[in-house]
Amino acid sequence: MADKQSRRTFLKVAGSTGAIGLTGLAGCTDDGGSGDGNGDGGSGGGDSGGDSGGDSGGTTSGGSEMGTIKLGGSMSLTGDNADLGQLYKDAYELTIQRINENGGVEAGDGNTYELELILRDDGTDASTSRSIYQELIDVENVDYLLGPYASSVTLPASAVAAQNEKPMVEGGGASPEIFAQGNEWIFGLLPTANKYPGSFIDMCLAQDSPPESIAILAEDDTFSQSTAEGARAKIEQSDMELVVDQTFPTDTSDLSTNLGRVRDNDADVLLLCAHQQHNIILANQMESQGVNVDAAMGTVGSLNDSFKNEVGDNGDYIYGPTSWDINANFDDPVFGGTQNFVDAINENYDASPDYHSAAGEAVIITFKQAFENVDELGPTAVRDQIRQAEFSTAYGTVSFDDKGIIDKKMLNRQWQPDPGLQTVWPENVQQTAPIYPMPDWGNR
Amino acid sequence: MAIAQFIVNGLLIGALFAGIAVGFALIWGVVDIINLAHGEMVMLGGYVSFWLLSFATGSTNASPTVFLATIPVAIAVVFVVGYVLQRVLVQRVIGTDIFLTLLVTFGISIAIQQLAIQAWTANPRSIQASFADPSLTVVGLVVPKMKLLAFAGAIVLTVALYAFLQNTRTGRAIRGVAQNPEAAELVGIDVEHTRAMTFGISSGIAGGIGAFVATILTIDPQMGLIYTLKSFVIVVFGGVGSIPGAMVGGLMLGSVEELTVGLVSSRWTLAVSFTLLIVLLVVKPNGLFGEEADQ
Repeated sequence: MADKQSRRTFLKVAGSTGAIGLTGLAGCTDDGGSGDGNGDGGSGGGDSGGDSGGDSGGTTSGGSEMGTIKLGGSMSLTGDNADLGQLYKDAYELTIQRINENGGVEAGDGNTYELELILRDDGTDASTSRSIYQELIDVENVDYLLGPYASSVTLPASAVAAQNEKPMVEGGGASPEIFAQGNEWIFGLLPTANKYPGSFIDMCLAQDSPPESIAILAEDDTFSQSTAEGARAKIEQSDMELVVDQTFPTDTSDLSTNLGRVRDNDADVLLLCAHQQHNIILANQMESQGVNVDAAMGTVGSLNDSFKNEVGDNGDYIYGPTSWDINANFDDPVFGGTQNFVDAINENYDASPDYHSAAGEAVIITFKQAFENVDELGPTAVRDQIRQAEFSTAYGTVSFDDKGIIDKKMLNRQWQPDPGLQTVWPENVQQTAPIYPMPDWGNR
Repeated sequence: MAIAQFIVNGLLIGALFAGIAVGFALIWGVVDIINLAHGEMVMLGGYVSFWLLSFATGSTNASPTVFLATIPVAIAVVFVVGYVLQRVLVQRVIGTDIFLTLLVTFGISIAIQQLAIQAWTANPRSIQASFADPSLTVVGLVVPKMKLLAFAGAIVLTVALYAFLQNTRTGRAIRGVAQNPEAAELVGIDVEHTRAMTFGISSGIAGGIGAFVATILTIDPQMGLIYTLKSFVIVVFGGVGSIPGAMVGGLMLGSVEELTVGLVSSRWTLAVSFTLLIVLLVVKPNGLFGEEADQ
């Protein structure tokens, strides 16, 4: 074929195409996705300009008629993490609906308020999320912020909350970096990411034939790097040898060569610090690459139904961490208890609840109990109340340390062939013992 | 031995890159645009195969034979998508400013992504097509059978395209339009139809390879960009408009990437690929097969 491009035209084309491509790629690697930022969650507008007290700016209205308190945030409703983002959206909507159906929030200022949710799609994009939060504060007069999903999105969003002095309660960001900025306005309901692998490693070391070596494959994003850091620190305290420690970019679609390293180094345990897409690739390619380990865990997304649906039997014996057990039963001020919350989610939505759902519910309850216990509504008073509170939700007992981090330990669950997903660690809450070591591929 | 394994891994995945890039090169050469929506054709092909299996068998867990039966459908559906896109949208900007063609195809790419998200959610999907014994071990090298099948499929599709261009009336028309559209029109070739056929065929090939991608990796609505970017690198590497160049470029890119992963780190794959591209552009501006393309 004739080459119709002159060299100058070719270089012009090459430059512009490369720029567009790399710009787009940068968007993807930031944490996946090219979200458009279009909102689809909240109705917005409405009845602002009430007589809110303290230092709040007109998001509430009291008096004889029921006022409204706006809770606003961004969420990953498109992009790489949309599946998990939907779990938060479902939990937010259902909890707020139940609160309003039960007569709203009887606030400490003597008025009763309805809650209004304004949730907008950030496309799993950090800069889009920042813009949404600033707009919610400036245009929608939102004083109380619901955090987004994913640490790389939550970190910059929490800075917006701090700059504008608005409390943000989040159930989707677990990187310790979020809480290491001296930010007094952020509260996180997930144990920090560095704690995710600890319980899994403890479980492996407690087995009759404990592992001698471990491999870490970590995605190149804030959360996953924090989990890998936590794992390395934990491994240093043990007798295990770290035989593979590799980081891969978020847009990596093939883990074959890295899995080959795991196989060639004869690692006993494999820890994948990554999100759901890479858990699917891992489960499938472990089989095709003949990687046999005693235990393998994916840090996020390996416990979802959608993960198991995509990998089928290849997902058997894979572990995942969770901060919440679906079989637990904690008191809850809105649903009555954990099992009622589980039933309500199952009745109203397609996906079963997991810890993301429960954390989402607890985000709303955290604000509810704060509104009920302050003398006068306002961001500072609500923040201070959250900081000192301790209360029970479907997610468990909620209380925060000085940095705004919840005091909670991770549990381990494992996909088992017969009963399915089982809580296997710690022993005092386990439904069944872990199947350890997992059988070789040839024996399945 | 480890290096040999990295190269084998690279060649297996590189054949898929090559097959996708061949279509990208063909559109660049014949339609004279850089199609930034080419990666979305890979995505669409993967989803066609995925949903076809899902609806036909009630499961995406299928034998390799059943999976292979979905490939012609994926090619046909994505061919139609490509043909219609060219006729309805792309045709309107051919011959205009290069930035306008880039914007239009970039817009198509975003639109397809968003429609796919709305239709199928952003969840990553995969087709479970595997053999009872999933991998071969040849002289100590592990070769996953499904990857080998995908490699063979990509090679077959690429060679079939090459043979089609060389030996059929439509193929000769495509080559004629690529060389001189005005002269082709003078001898009675329907240039617009030929360009649309080119767009459709290239998209169809990408769609067929997308189905293989769904079996060995994952598919999701936003996967296309990286395949477009790799195609661009491969085509520039091999020489613009050269199908053999795209083929060799794809295999080389796959090998270089996996060698980088194996010997350095996954973090360096893009940096190494683009550095090689820049070096090549300085040393051999027409790409590896650029001279042949000029002839």
